[in-house]
Amino acid sequence: MDAISSLPMLRRIKQYSAYAMVLGICVGISASTASTNNATSDQTLSPWQKIEAQGKNQDVYFYAWGGDPQINAYLQWAAEQVDDKYNINLVHVKLSDTSEAVSRVLAEKAANNNDQGSVDLVWINGANFATMSENSLLLKQWANKLPNFSLTDPDNNPTVNYDFGVPTNGMEAPWGQASLTFYYDSLSVNTPPTTLNELTTWAAQNPGRFSYPKPPDFLGMSFLKYALVILHEQHDADTGENTKAQLNLPATEQNTALVLDPLWAFLDDFHPTLWRDGEQFVQTGAQMRRLVDDTELSLAFTFSAPEVPAAVQRFDLPKSIRSYAMSDGSLSNTHFVAIPYNTSHPQAAQLVANFLMSPEAQAHKQTSAVWGDKTVLVQSTLSSEQQALFDSKQTHPSALPFDSITRIVSEPHPSWVDGIMQGWQMRYGVSP
Amino acid sequence: MSQGFDKIAKTQARAHLIVLEQTDWFTRIVTLSPKLLVLILILPVLGGLIGVVLPAFGWVPALDKTTLNLQGFIELWQTPGLTRMAALSVATGLISTLLAFVLALMILAAFFNSVWLQRIEHLLSPILVIPHAAAAIAVGFLIAPSGMFARLISPWLSGWALAPNGILPHDPYGISIILGLTLKELPFLLLMALGALAQPELGKKLRQQYKVALNLGYHPITAFFKAVLPLLYPFLRLPILAVLAYASASVEMPLILGPNTPPTLAVSIMNWFNDVDLTLRIKASAGALLQLALTAGLVAFWLGGEKAIKACGSASLINGKRRYADAAWQKITGVLTVFVIGFMLLSLVGLALWSIAGYWRFPAMLPEQFVWLHFDSAFAQMGTPLFNTLTIGLVSTAFAIVLALLCLEAEQLRARYLSNLTSLIIYLPLLVPSIAFLFGLVWIQQWLNYQSAFFNVAFAHVLFVLPYVFLSLASSYRRLDPRFAHVAASLGAAPIKVFFQIKLPQLFAPILIAIALGLAISFGQYLPTLLAGGGRIATITTEAVTLANGASRRTSAVYAIIQMALPLIGFILAWILPKYFFRSGAR
Amino acid sequence: MPSTLQIKDLQLFRQNERLLSMDEHIAGGDILTVMGPSGSGKSSLLNWLTGSLSKDFTATGTVWLNDQDVTHLPAHMRGIGVLYQDALLFSHLSVAGNIAFAMPKDNKNGGKKQRLEKIAHALAQVGLAGMGDRHPDNLSGGQQARVALLRTLLGAPKAILLDEPFSKLDTQLRKDTRQLVFEQIQTYKLPAIMVTHDESDAEAAGGKIIHLDR
Repeated sequence: MDAISSLPMLRRIKQYSAYAMVLGICVGISASTASTNNATSDQTLSPWQKIEAQGKNQDVYFYAWGGDPQINAYLQWAAEQVDDKYNINLVHVKLSDTSEAVSRVLAEKAANNNDQGSVDLVWINGANFATMSENSLLLKQWANKLPNFSLTDPDNNPTVNYDFGVPTNGMEAPWGQASLTFYYDSLSVNTPPTTLNELTTWAAQNPGRFSYPKPPDFLGMSFLKYALVILHEQHDADTGENTKAQLNLPATEQNTALVLDPLWAFLDDFHPTLWRDGEQFVQTGAQMRRLVDDTELSLAFTFSAPEVPAAVQRFDLPKSIRSYAMSDGSLSNTHFVAIPYNTSHPQAAQLVANFLMSPEAQAHKQTSAVWGDKTVLVQSTLSSEQQALFDSKQTHPSALPFDSITRIVSEPHPSWVDGIMQGWQMRYGVSP
Repeated sequence: MSQGFDKIAKTQARAHLIVLEQTDWFTRIVTLSPKLLVLILILPVLGGLIGVVLPAFGWVPALDKTTLNLQGFIELWQTPGLTRMAALSVATGLISTLLAFVLALMILAAFFNSVWLQRIEHLLSPILVIPHAAAAIAVGFLIAPSGMFARLISPWLSGWALAPNGILPHDPYGISIILGLTLKELPFLLLMALGALAQPELGKKLRQQYKVALNLGYHPITAFFKAVLPLLYPFLRLPILAVLAYASASVEMPLILGPNTPPTLAVSIMNWFNDVDLTLRIKASAGALLQLALTAGLVAFWLGGEKAIKACGSASLINGKRRYADAAWQKITGVLTVFVIGFMLLSLVGLALWSIAGYWRFPAMLPEQFVWLHFDSAFAQMGTPLFNTLTIGLVSTAFAIVLALLCLEAEQLRARYLSNLTSLIIYLPLLVPSIAFLFGLVWIQQWLNYQSAFFNVAFAHVLFVLPYVFLSLASSYRRLDPRFAHVAASLGAAPIKVFFQIKLPQLFAPILIAIALGLAISFGQYLPTLLAGGGRIATITTEAVTLANGASRRTSAVYAIIQMALPLIGFILAWILPKYFFRSGAR
Repeated sequence: MPSTLQIKDLQLFRQNERLLSMDEHIAGGDILTVMGPSGSGKSSLLNWLTGSLSKDFTATGTVWLNDQDVTHLPAHMRGIGVLYQDALLFSHLSVAGNIAFAMPKDNKNGGKKQRLEKIAHALAQVGLAGMGDRHPDNLSGGQQARVALLRTLLGAPKAILLDEPFSKLDTQLRKDTRQLVFEQIQTYKLPAIMVTHDESDAEAAGGKIIHLDR
């Protein structure tokens, strides 16, 4: 039935009949309750109400990574909601990599397409955001005006105003939070490693059972960043220097070697203990998770801890999987949605972004059976009914135990991503 | 027969043309069709190539680069692992084509006279319409360290309690790619050969010559190679070259089964074109030209190899040796055929099992539970891709069929066959690597009309559907008895009436088969959909490829099965409907 | 020593309907003529003899060639040559190539040269001197028939079957070719079976004539 209801032709019919119904109801209500009309008259609509009016009955093309069926299903749910609410046709354009959307907008800008862009909304953060921001590809100062933005407690919450240390300037609306956590197969691993050093030892004792996705994959880069930060913390603790501070500064010719050489030294020793002797790497985190199910890998990691119990429930991982966080720190960041400067449907896109930040959408997203992505809303700003939406149900045995993350490692400056990627490509990009 | 056709048909047809030329719009459309066919096939391909040649030499006005230079090629040359990428592409292309060709010949030779040939044909025909992506997924399941093969021998034989350290798939030598490609191309080549043999004149002649050779004492396999193959080979040449061109430049197989340090050249080109950094497009265009050169080189190598073998072999053709260990080869071929068919069946079984599998830990032979969950959740999300797949398929196939029919009709009106050049042009989109010209085509499409992604994708599909549809219809159309048309014309019927009321009804079954074939080709297209649609048009195949290396074998199995089921439905309809409509006693 | 061909108790059936029965002994150099209307099983008889009987037919009985039972040998091991209506020359080989194809395997020492000489000699004998390099499609019907004959004979068969071999030739050509063929059969002392519906063929063969009735 869902399949049929999403056929565009029937969708249009459904839209028009829904619209007619809504219109009819509105006329009916306003006719019968003329005296209880609220204070806002037609001449002085608030900016948000104008956006609401203009954004209805539009298409919104949401360019977002499509490699996880759970996320795809959540977006389909969201599409149904905004269709009911605003008659908006939300289309999830599935990407293998967010950079595809960035390319597209860049190409459109190069072709002088300034108001008929094909991308209305894009799921983004980190280096991709930095690129779009530098090239003036994003709509500015809209996210901070969304009604639901206040629920993220922006004045006290730097994570929704800075993306990998780069200020968001109202160009992106926060959507969810993620931390790097690990999971392992309890049938083949008794005591998993809880620090980077323990990981190296464990991999040496269990060769071929661990791998990380090949850069420029986001998850692989995250692992490398985690390793980089921890290595520097250890080095600084041993020598009393402060090279770690360099990570928060932009990468330059002067500090690149100083900062990255320890990483290469580490990897040179680490790789031979990995899956396929470190000569082949998994392409994505999704493939890595599949290899755990295949029992080719015993240990893996993810940025979305709830995807693990969700996968177990879908039979994509065995019941013996357990999740945990590294005791020496978990790399964490927020992910956002942004609107390109040349979108064809700016108001509708903002309506969708606002909906994605609403308590009901965020609570549904955090439900581990649905997606399990951590909310960006701060509980203290919510009413008690809204808070109730977030009450967690019983935890799954494979889920990350509450309060597992004892220490947060924040992301380095986005300019380091390029340096790591190129250095890695040069050293390990071609197997010997 | 062709001599009779020429004499009678020429005079009569010319008479018709002279009478009707001035007045009949149908005839005018028909006579224009071959030109339209050529235009539709040549312009996009050549235009696409130009759209790649110019950027390769640095001419990209959108990035304010208008000076021709060699920067792109220099960057390409400096790419780490370039030689490995090129070698991988060339090796996988050549070896898989050779293997498929040799296996097809051996099967033909070993079973030429026996009823098994038809049985093998029926077994392998469905494999033909399985899209490359689905086949890659299925093969990947089989050869993985935790795949069916490993499970069959674990732990009782191998002692593996956890999946072992294997090298397949994604191995750096491209063995997995070769396996996938060979299994997909073997049925194609075999069925092309059988199609040639099914032509009444050629088939009869070849079988008779085979019989003569047998009577002269030649053992069956030797008889095939010495008496049948030299005459059969020219009909196989173009399909083989198409296979070679595809194998050396394909994207689906290496994406799903190939290594990534480094990947094949075609995959790298795709990555560069999709990169955020737009200046990489120049390198990508240069890479596309390199790919073109590699494929052209392979084709030249194959043609040269033909000549070499011909030169060396002509002496042994007439040396009178009647036996080359035929009995041994017969047995070997039998074993290989069983192995190949077993391989295919096992991968399909694996696919089916994964799509309904609950927990299925290595090394269990069967899943612990069977669930419909994966199909349910896939169907919930499949609405739009399914709709797109079907509509694009129907639109592109309809257009291709109409154009093919009109061209074939033109052939008959002019009373001569399409020239060899036209036949070659029909194969053009199959011979030129699509990664080379599709990006240029997309650039042209954006320049002309970049709003309708649907139309762009449908048009790109037409390029690939048209050759197959044309070839499929051509043999049936040309076999129509021209005398029916002449009788009708002499009774005063205009060509359009003859076409619709006499020729088309006779062709009902072949048209349905051509439609099913066209749909199958369209359903399986990956790169054209991805590029022409700008990623906005999702089809079952694009979804399948995205999910193939994703986290859920089960979901990708479901999509692979849907990918296979769709064309099969088309063929089942093509088989059933003629039994009820336009029943022809001649069948 | 001349070969002998013996058919013992042959019964040929098409789907439970008996077509013909035969029991014959043919000595080397003799020609057995089989005549009958179309559909009477003539071609099937030849197919059975060469081992290529189609699935629609069944047969009981045995074939003995030089006192050896060849009934269950596959087609390529019997050593029975066939001359068809159509010359069926291989179009990927020259005239000489066609004949060389049929000749037994050459021996290493100067074998190739000997073969070429033998072919040239044979061609000259049938009036086709110097045509070794010609392409078979460029020959006239009669010339093709002669090359086909040479090909069959030089394959050193132990018996020869003729399947209406002259029906496509016009009258005069027919007479000449027929005479040539019969002479060669005599020379090589091959037992022969000829299927035809032409009375004059049967007469010229000069051997036993069998009529198949429906």
